[in-house]
Amino acid sequence: MAIAINKGLSLAHDIYEDRGRRVRELRKAGRKTIGYICLYPPVEIITALGMVPFRIFGNMSEPITLADQVSTTVVCPFLRSIIDLGMKGKFDFLDGVVGAHTCDIGAGIIVQWRDYVKDAPFTHLIDVPHTDHPPAVEYFAGQLNSFKRHLEEYAGQKLTDDKLKKAVELHNTQRKLVRQLYDLRKPDPPLLTSAENLEVLVALFSLPVEEGNDLLEGVIRQVSERSDRPGRKKARLLVWGPVFDNTSLFKLIESAGSSVVVDDTCVGTRAFWADVKAPYDLQALAQRYLVDIKCPRTYRQAEPAETKRDYDKDLDSRFNYIKKAIVDWNVSGAVLQSVKYCDTHGYEVPNLRHYLDTLGIPSIYIEHDYSERSLAPIKTRVEAFVETLG
Amino acid sequence: MSETAAPAKTEQKRAINRLKSMYPLRNLVQQDYIDTLQASNEGKPTVWSMLNYWEGDLPLKAMGLNIVYPENYSTLLASTGTAEPFLDASDSDGFPTHMCGYGRSTIGYSYRMMKELGGKIPPEAPVGGMAKPALLLGSGIICDARFKWFQALGRYFDTPQWCLEMPMMPTFEGSEPDLEGYQVKFLTREVKAFIEFLEKLLQRKMDWARLEELIDLAVRIHETTWQISELRQSVPGPMHSTDFWSSMPPSLFFAGDMKVALQFYRDMLAEVQDRVNNKIAAINYPEKYRIVFAELPPWHSLKFFDSLAEKGWNFVYESYGYHAPKPPDLSKISDPCEKLARLSRNFIFNIHEHARADNIGNPLVEQYLRIARGFKVDGFFLHPLISCRAASAGLRSVQEFLLRKLDVPTLWVEGDIIDKRVFNPQETLARAEAFEQTMGHYHKVRLSKGLDW
Repeated sequence: MAIAINKGLSLAHDIYEDRGRRVRELRKAGRKTIGYICLYPPVEIITALGMVPFRIFGNMSEPITLADQVSTTVVCPFLRSIIDLGMKGKFDFLDGVVGAHTCDIGAGIIVQWRDYVKDAPFTHLIDVPHTDHPPAVEYFAGQLNSFKRHLEEYAGQKLTDDKLKKAVELHNTQRKLVRQLYDLRKPDPPLLTSAENLEVLVALFSLPVEEGNDLLEGVIRQVSERSDRPGRKKARLLVWGPVFDNTSLFKLIESAGSSVVVDDTCVGTRAFWADVKAPYDLQALAQRYLVDIKCPRTYRQAEPAETKRDYDKDLDSRFNYIKKAIVDWNVSGAVLQSVKYCDTHGYEVPNLRHYLDTLGIPSIYIEHDYSERSLAPIKTRVEAFVETLG
Repeated sequence: MSETAAPAKTEQKRAINRLKSMYPLRNLVQQDYIDTLQASNEGKPTVWSMLNYWEGDLPLKAMGLNIVYPENYSTLLASTGTAEPFLDASDSDGFPTHMCGYGRSTIGYSYRMMKELGGKIPPEAPVGGMAKPALLLGSGIICDARFKWFQALGRYFDTPQWCLEMPMMPTFEGSEPDLEGYQVKFLTREVKAFIEFLEKLLQRKMDWARLEELIDLAVRIHETTWQISELRQSVPGPMHSTDFWSSMPPSLFFAGDMKVALQFYRDMLAEVQDRVNNKIAAINYPEKYRIVFAELPPWHSLKFFDSLAEKGWNFVYESYGYHAPKPPDLSKISDPCEKLARLSRNFIFNIHEHARADNIGNPLVEQYLRIARGFKVDGFFLHPLISCRAASAGLRSVQEFLLRKLDVPTLWVEGDIIDKRVFNPQETLARAEAFEQTMGHYHKVRLSKGLDW
């Protein structure tokens, strides 16, 4: 039975609270469910083979206990949380898990999954090059082909061009709808809170793409017409950083007298800003995932093989999409957040703050260990920061 | 466990029986720093490079560039006790404190050089310091920090950068039949692109004959170091880990003149072979326990190994990541870029076949099982580092697999490559004493299961 549609925010909230609900139903009805970690496994291939992609997150409320037996504590606590939940059987509704070498620790998760979780009969790791050099894009397309071939074997069917095209169109539609959802936070006050926005996005990562698109259309219609809008706040903020899949941080920031109107995180805009461009083949997927997604895990230069380098030009080439968001959403300050032990984001922090300074955007950097407990001390800092925004 | 006699001759009894052939190899890297500074004073460019497992080192050398390796230099900062102010400088400039200790010390060094001293080398820097870079060569091999920290150095240096590529894959995906072909093609194109970039930057052409010559030398150096590694399986262990760490730069990143280094390694091979023939141990005490160290050592506390040697602990081998494997046969390859691609790729992918045979998903974990069997290891000293994800992340799996599959126990001692405050030698020595009983227990367990050590 298809999920009831157009219930808007309340449906998104329900799914956010019980992410596996719909996937369990679908699995019971015979659909294969494929979990994926991080942004880089191409969901289009999973959808095109008739399977349900389900993005795997951790749980900030659940203490990490079992994972400490197989993982050191000085690595990303988000990824440790995922393995912990896996070892506790919390992903037993998944038929497979796909990872990508988006960072070293992230790549290791698939191996740990094979060794210590073992629920899923299908596992695969996609190697992701470190640069966007043209040979790297071609190599990455080869990696996507390996993944496609492996998943075809598991699915017992071939991925045709038509199936892939249809899946790409569905996911591109979803991306377009999410961008429309973000547009609803351009007014002042915004039409929905950042926590509501995140609940919708997390729900999308928990549903087949068609159902997610229905949900989005319902939410956009509901929010556009709503009368109970959030009130005007002192500051309009951008939140930057790696994965943040829990509304607690957004609620904390908004309780400090500000609205989070846009983000640059991998649960938010990074996942939805770039479309796959025609022709909808593996090369186009490689271009979208490796080149067009703007994550610090990929090394980029202002110009290919530049022999003269300029710091400001380099920063602008890497971060000007943030500048555009600042203008389009009328941002007055930025909260840079990162989970502890994240190298790819950590090295970025002083340089991004410098870039924001040049744009006249004040910023604050906060670090947490992916637990709700670790957010409490941050509140005072955020309040003080918002106070300075005048 | 083994119990062997101490060497007959010990003039002044030092706990570790250092190889004489180690010293000239150790000096090569120090001489490199001095030569690079000299060259810089003469107006020649200096390259700061990450370890790149040779695909970058050899083109740089063939172009006659002077290279320093901040990772290696950071070990000097740690061992001379001069790292702390640089770590503080990195923190004060806004970099998170949980980042790689090598990265933080390099960032702090750069901050001090460019923000406080107007481009001059910090006078407190050991061995004269590192000259200002004309090129920053990052690498995607093994850890994210290797390219992110060099990218971050753009904050201090308006210097051209390049990031070298290397596929990184676990056992199953890394063993796919058609993988080698398109990986080699990818890496060959990357090496060509890098060389074209160097030619554009330096406004001169690559000396291809020189590059071929260096590749040939690299292969011969690695054949020699590989032979030394094989000999180290002997009982008693003829070469201590501290000797390996001191002598590894000329094979790990080709420090010094490669012809000279090749001769020094041949001298080392002869000395190790002599020790094997005469059953001379790497410690001046009876070898009671054969230990493997994983991963990077506490550079600031290397004297600690003397205390363990006095207890009969012989560190007979170390992590895979610093050893060049047996080089591939490149004799039928004509394109030097493809030779380089294959030489570098071999470091990552030569171990996948073993891991597949052992049905272990992480080939690096499998290496420890191979080492445990081959070297008849009594115990592993695991040293997870608070600031190095790459070296620490898999160690719990290593611990678990060694015990489950081979009944080899591990001593888990947290520490750091740079920050000496997190390593407690006294407490570790106390734990080592208890660990001896553990090793004794598992020795009996292994024998009862039919294993031969």
